[in-house]
Amino acid sequence: MRSVLGLRFPVLDMSSVIPTMRHVRGFDVARPLSIWMLIFMMMPLVFLPLASIFIFGTSSGLGNFWTALTAPAAVFALKLSMVTSFWATTFNVLFGLFAAYVLSRYNFLGRNALIVTISLPTAIPTAVAGFALLLLWGPYGTLGRFLRPQGIQVMFTAGAIVLANIFVTFPLAFGVIKPVFDTMSRSLEEASATIGATRWQTFWHVTLPSLRGAIVSGALLTFARAVGEFGSTILVSGNLAGRTQTAPLYIFAKFNEGQIEAANAIAIVLALFSFLIFSVLFFARDWLDVD
Amino acid sequence: MKQTFNKAALLTLMLLALALLANCLPQQSAERGGLNITLYGFSVMKESLEKAVYPAFAAKWKQEHGQDVGFASSFAGSETVTNQILQGVPAEIAILSIDRDAQRLKAGGFITSDWHATPYKGIVNKTPFVILVRAGNPKGIHDFPDLAKPGVEIIHPDPVSSGGAQWSILAIYGSELVKSEKQSGEPDTAHALQTLQAIWRNVKSTPGSAREARTQFETGFGDALITYELDGLLMKEAKKTPMEIVVPKATIFSEHPAVVIDKNVTQTKRAVVDAFLQYLWSEEAQKAFVKFHFYSVTNDALNQQHTEFGHIEMPFEISYFGGWDKAYPQVIEGIFRNRVQRK
Repeated sequence: MRSVLGLRFPVLDMSSVIPTMRHVRGFDVARPLSIWMLIFMMMPLVFLPLASIFIFGTSSGLGNFWTALTAPAAVFALKLSMVTSFWATTFNVLFGLFAAYVLSRYNFLGRNALIVTISLPTAIPTAVAGFALLLLWGPYGTLGRFLRPQGIQVMFTAGAIVLANIFVTFPLAFGVIKPVFDTMSRSLEEASATIGATRWQTFWHVTLPSLRGAIVSGALLTFARAVGEFGSTILVSGNLAGRTQTAPLYIFAKFNEGQIEAANAIAIVLALFSFLIFSVLFFARDWLDVD
Repeated sequence: MKQTFNKAALLTLMLLALALLANCLPQQSAERGGLNITLYGFSVMKESLEKAVYPAFAAKWKQEHGQDVGFASSFAGSETVTNQILQGVPAEIAILSIDRDAQRLKAGGFITSDWHATPYKGIVNKTPFVILVRAGNPKGIHDFPDLAKPGVEIIHPDPVSSGGAQWSILAIYGSELVKSEKQSGEPDTAHALQTLQAIWRNVKSTPGSAREARTQFETGFGDALITYELDGLLMKEAKKTPMEIVVPKATIFSEHPAVVIDKNVTQTKRAVVDAFLQYLWSEEAQKAFVKFHFYSVTNDALNQQHTEFGHIEMPFEISYFGGWDKAYPQVIEGIFRNRVQRK
């Protein structure tokens, strides 16, 4: 099994199959050529767009950048994004763990249908996720209309943002944890059981530790994705500055108002944030991968 | 084993850090006590409200009642805002670009009062529709028909989500009718339709709101933008983008209604919400609107004093079409949707 960026993919290890490469005498042109070509290809696609965020965000001076960043609505939006993403992540990791356990340990009718359903949110447009939630929980939705008389309002609150985040990041943690469950050697668990451990003890002391890497990378991926969520949030949050406006919505609102510097300041924070998360995923892979 | 413990400790630490983060839950301003008014507005209302009207009303209310009033607001295209309210966002007041949207809210049961019965029919301010072009007017645009010239790239908000876009369509179509009527005594509907079709062929982008369209124009895209005069004047004031305002010979004055979303207003907030709505027609608020280049509806002297306004030879209003009840089905749907867009 190989791990790429902390994600585990069941890839065949081919290194023993492929014979050693033909030895190249002298300077290997292919090496610098392919490296530069890779960088060159990424230039207009990724590097330059990212760079322009930084250039525009700081173009009117670092002072303005700081003012934009510390504007109360901006700080609020960042906080709200972090908090709602945190709760969505917590839920999805616990759920992913549970779902992976059930779906890899037990075989039952409809198991594959469940696996497919869990993965579905990846392919559903986020706007559809948003209005699906509205149709269900909205004040005039299928369920919401019965909750409304009770004074329970789910949509257009921070709770709605958490629900939207849960929906769109639903398969991420599960997708990372399940393959580990599938390939995990059962012998340790069996050994644990033979020396008299209860199911719970076995899970806590044997199964869980070997899932640590998958849990952390699943959590980070979920969190990173949730922080950047836009399409569903704009529909379910109400987009009120200082109340239900998350960081991506704030960026969009500022851009629409023509305050591109303000939009970029927050965009820089989000870009650095994802950079941090993926760096952790990448550089901590040895730690995350201990088997 | 020890190694595992260290790692477990690190993991716990990370979780703790996250939990800490979660603890600094943003305080909801509504829960902080005090009064809070939630307003949803069409896109170009933002600046005048946030920079002038909100603070002035808050100060006035504080002086008269000793209470702090806060505002939470969201701005988007008028149709978008209306749809959001119909879906249940907690708006207490809406300022919309078109009266039709207020009527949609009434039909949905969100407004129970009759704003048409108030002195100004619910209209808080108005502004004519103009064309914004690049500095020096390189494409030689002097009136709506010039926008139909080949090679002119137009930014026009999307009439599906924006009220301003619908005003713009009425401005173009009505402008040709008014001019031909003046010339021959008979409005030339075929010519007006042709002009609208030709202009629409040059539209290269349809952003969601007038404010979004302005941002797109500011980022350098397009030769021309049809929009509210006030937004053009604000853009000129900002001095970021070299541009000129072209005032068409005949153009429409858009009129913007403010309404209370009765369904969402609680008994305790009724007084402050009503007071704020009334305040919008006060001399102070109307002066603030004029400062941000809207026309006042209560005091024409304010408009006379505001020298930035362009001169319009043949201004007209929605009444020219017989009100929104007729303008929407006949022009927006009948002409634009069926004969311009679906062509």
